[in-house]
Amino acid sequence: MISRGERIANYAVLALFAAIALFPVLLILQTALSNDAIVSDGPASSFNFQNFADAWDQGHFASYMRTSVVVAILVVGLSTVISVLAGYAFGTMSFRGSEVIFYLILLGIMVPAEALVVALYFDLRALGLTNTLVAIVMPQVAQSTAFGTFWMRAYFRTSSREVVEAAHIDGAGHWRTLWQVLVPMGRPAVTTMVVLVFMWTWNEFLIPLIMATSENLRTAPLGLAFFQGQYTSGTALLAAGATLVALPVVVVYLFLQRHFIRGMVEGAVK
Amino acid sequence: MTPVQQMATPAATVRTPSGRRGRPGEPRRVAYLYILPAVAVFGLFILYPLIRTAQFSLYEWDGLGASSWVGLANYQAVFSEPQLRGAFVHALVLIVFYAVVPVTLGLLLAATMSRALLRGLGFFRVVLFLPQVIPMVVVAIAWRQIYEPEGPLNDLLRFVGLDSLARPWLGDYAWALPSVGIVGTWVGTGLCLVLFLAGMARIPRELYEAARLDGAGPLREFVAITLPSVRGELAVALTLTVIAALKTFDLVYVMTSGGPGTETTVPSYQVYNNAFLLGRVGTATALAIVLTAVVFVVTVVINRIGERGQR
Amino acid sequence: MRLFTRTSTRWGAAVAAALLIAACAPGDDGGDDDATEAPAAGDVQTDASQLGDITLTVWDQEVREGQTEQIEALNAAFEEAYPNITIERVSRSTDDLRTTLRLALSGEDAPDVVQANNGRPEMGQYVASGLLTPLDPYAEAYGWFDRFPESVRALASYSDDGATYGEGELYGLPQMGEIVGLYYNKTKLDALGLEPPATTEDFEAALTAAQAAGEIPIQFGNSEPWAGIHEFGFVQNQFSDAETIRNLGFGRPGSSWTSEDNLAAAEATVSWVDSGYFVDGFNGITYDSAWQSFSQGNGVFFVGGTWLIADLASAMGEEVGFVLPPAGASGQNLVTGGISIPWAIPANSDAQDAAAAYIDFITNSDAMTAVTEAGNVPVIEADQQTTEGLQAEVFAAWAQAGSEDLIVPYLDYATETFYDTITAAVQNLMGAEATPQQFLDTLEAEYTAATGS
Repeated sequence: MISRGERIANYAVLALFAAIALFPVLLILQTALSNDAIVSDGPASSFNFQNFADAWDQGHFASYMRTSVVVAILVVGLSTVISVLAGYAFGTMSFRGSEVIFYLILLGIMVPAEALVVALYFDLRALGLTNTLVAIVMPQVAQSTAFGTFWMRAYFRTSSREVVEAAHIDGAGHWRTLWQVLVPMGRPAVTTMVVLVFMWTWNEFLIPLIMATSENLRTAPLGLAFFQGQYTSGTALLAAGATLVALPVVVVYLFLQRHFIRGMVEGAVK
Repeated sequence: MTPVQQMATPAATVRTPSGRRGRPGEPRRVAYLYILPAVAVFGLFILYPLIRTAQFSLYEWDGLGASSWVGLANYQAVFSEPQLRGAFVHALVLIVFYAVVPVTLGLLLAATMSRALLRGLGFFRVVLFLPQVIPMVVVAIAWRQIYEPEGPLNDLLRFVGLDSLARPWLGDYAWALPSVGIVGTWVGTGLCLVLFLAGMARIPRELYEAARLDGAGPLREFVAITLPSVRGELAVALTLTVIAALKTFDLVYVMTSGGPGTETTVPSYQVYNNAFLLGRVGTATALAIVLTAVVFVVTVVINRIGERGQR
Repeated sequence: MRLFTRTSTRWGAAVAAALLIAACAPGDDGGDDDATEAPAAGDVQTDASQLGDITLTVWDQEVREGQTEQIEALNAAFEEAYPNITIERVSRSTDDLRTTLRLALSGEDAPDVVQANNGRPEMGQYVASGLLTPLDPYAEAYGWFDRFPESVRALASYSDDGATYGEGELYGLPQMGEIVGLYYNKTKLDALGLEPPATTEDFEAALTAAQAAGEIPIQFGNSEPWAGIHEFGFVQNQFSDAETIRNLGFGRPGSSWTSEDNLAAAEATVSWVDSGYFVDGFNGITYDSAWQSFSQGNGVFFVGGTWLIADLASAMGEEVGFVLPPAGASGQNLVTGGISIPWAIPANSDAQDAAAAYIDFITNSDAMTAVTEAGNVPVIEADQQTTEGLQAEVFAAWAQAGSEDLIVPYLDYATETFYDTITAAVQNLMGAEATPQQFLDTLEAEYTAATGS
């Protein structure tokens, strides 16, 4: 069997790596709560929650966060519905071309955003659609749908055939079977997808950077990057801003970490 | 730790259509209606832009005025201009830091640790996985601070008497790229460790016992039992981390803007820079197409390797 | 009924359809040129209160202490004078403005007023692409031709194809004058028993003395690489002549980067690096932490622009001084600079009259006083202002630079991509990644390609 020493050593290794994983996070938190070096050389230990309020105001984070929330809701909402519909068809029905179409959509997971946004930007500009929510949201919906379709198809394929047949015998059509039987049963799978798409959307940088230039369409990560360039004295407010931007996604993670890990482990590519 | 369920169909190990091994499903024409929104979104926002990208890459265009057909000249530039080629070389270096190091580290650690059944793994798993979740911009800001000339890293080095190693990490020609890479290592290692621990937890203990009876040492155990059993996880980990390395953008945009000189430029950064700052849309799209091709090839190759021996 | 007969037909059709849509070349369908034509002078509505309710979106890079103060004061005054106009201010660091401006200008709902760097990498490109409105009609209506001397207007003038820089139509107006001179720590220089250096010889002697006394001779941060343009310009000004630097800077034919003078400048830069005159690890230090460090007593000299007056004066008080760069080979105190980043009107702005009224407002005589009071150098009428301390020293240097014709342009003005080229090249030169000759060859290649000389 395993010796005590070996077990302790294992914990020590885990603890070491956990410490390394946490260090930058704690550093930001500590900086966010400290006094700005350039303003005063006071002790860094005095907690300074005022920094968060100052950063919020000076960095215009109210507006950035609002945009981020709207974008996240739209992307998550749209891609979830579209993915459930498509996954249902791919997972439970047989139709001509299903394999080819499915694998084509799957390729969408692999296409890096860089290969889409440049051309998409110029085409949308020609249509007068840049600098709109559509331009920020739809490319992300497309990418998330590629993943979501794959994910939901996997769920629907494993869903019990007996349940579906029982629903049919009760007279439920395919539409009702989907929404009243399969989706409620598949809540864990749907939650995982929602959580992952939320995280990707919240953290996305390149697409909103290119697609929107007006201030009220900038998302939180962009606002933070600009705040960094603009805020030239000290680091406390910058760290406070960084904390604010990371907070929503970290909170969701702490509550639903199983879904994050499961999704990343199984869903893989993005 | 919860055993990983449904490892049979992670996206990374998707198999080529090999007939319907699952249930056939009901033949329904209404399926086309169900997939219509997905197909529309995919067609409009992925397939069409991708085709346009390929088309743009054959033109010289500043993004504003008229364009002119140049054939494959942009691709020639991608492979011959030192700055553009350099971006891909840097991406290769980043792969070492983003993928090779975390995967190796994760494998070795998980292998040594999986011999003991540990309690309280849940907590460590949450913490180790955390770097995956935090927005890259925030990660970049944190690490920029760590690398400051008077930052924690140099403080630490001076504290332990290694003053000569202290340097302005992100401004140092030799160290800037590895410094960016180490952030990738930081992000990826926890993921790999979590993946492999999950994979190895499923290996039946009896296998090891049998091997030990045959007189196998730890190394043989690792090569003969552990490694083959986590082939799937290995493929997932490699795919995730290699693609993350190839697609690095936020980190470079926020941490170094490609400097010093052009030491930390990466393909994505060059795509943005060429398309939207330098007005070289053709070059940018050619770069993007090459990048896409590389991502495809890497994904396919890794998954071929991951698949082999799995069935 | 079968939807499709055969797989291959289906895919053939799909691909054909996609190709059909994609058939038009990039740029063919773009830019439906609805940009309003610039009005004739007589049509310009110069009374902004008659323009109706307008939200004016203004993108600026006035983020430093003195700059923020003046623009916020002027914005408030403008809104008070014209209650029908609301200003939506978007401020960015110079770098972030540079990286996002092109995208913003080409969009349909472009901002109404932007600060666009007047060199070819920005303004030149935008003019060539028709993204900026020529200001001549407004200049006539508002009397800008009288307000601003030719020398200032030339720095923001282009021919309408963007090919010729320095003449043609006016595309922007600056608020401030700008020179990159030498800030010095008075206490430290006194302690070394030295006067501010007047010649390169003096300067090198001061560097040696500072180093011997254990001081950092030159504080410098080159992590945002544009600082390198200033640093190298500062050295080049002491080795080359005004004519050469102007030709190179404005991208005019007739000079050469690989001249002996320029080689001497590049070699001097390297030898100063090798001698340890610049602070350790400058390539990894940000511009802002560099001047902050200088203000906290780390460094005897700091090569910096006049945009730092307010910041440095409030951090250092009486301790900081400012002089023109030392006189070198040419015997003149040549100094890099000219105008601050000018304010321009995007062609896609839908409130151009109001935008012009705004630009007029922030560059009139009252504005010049506000600019001065916030601790900056006004681009005109500097001699009518009263100043003291550091600001007075800068004003003296500015006046001298004007009267003796000492100002040479920023080097990145030269070609559309010269910003990228020279910033990386200077980092490479000072990081010992390129020899002086390689450095100059890189620059020469792009200069000759663009000027055809």
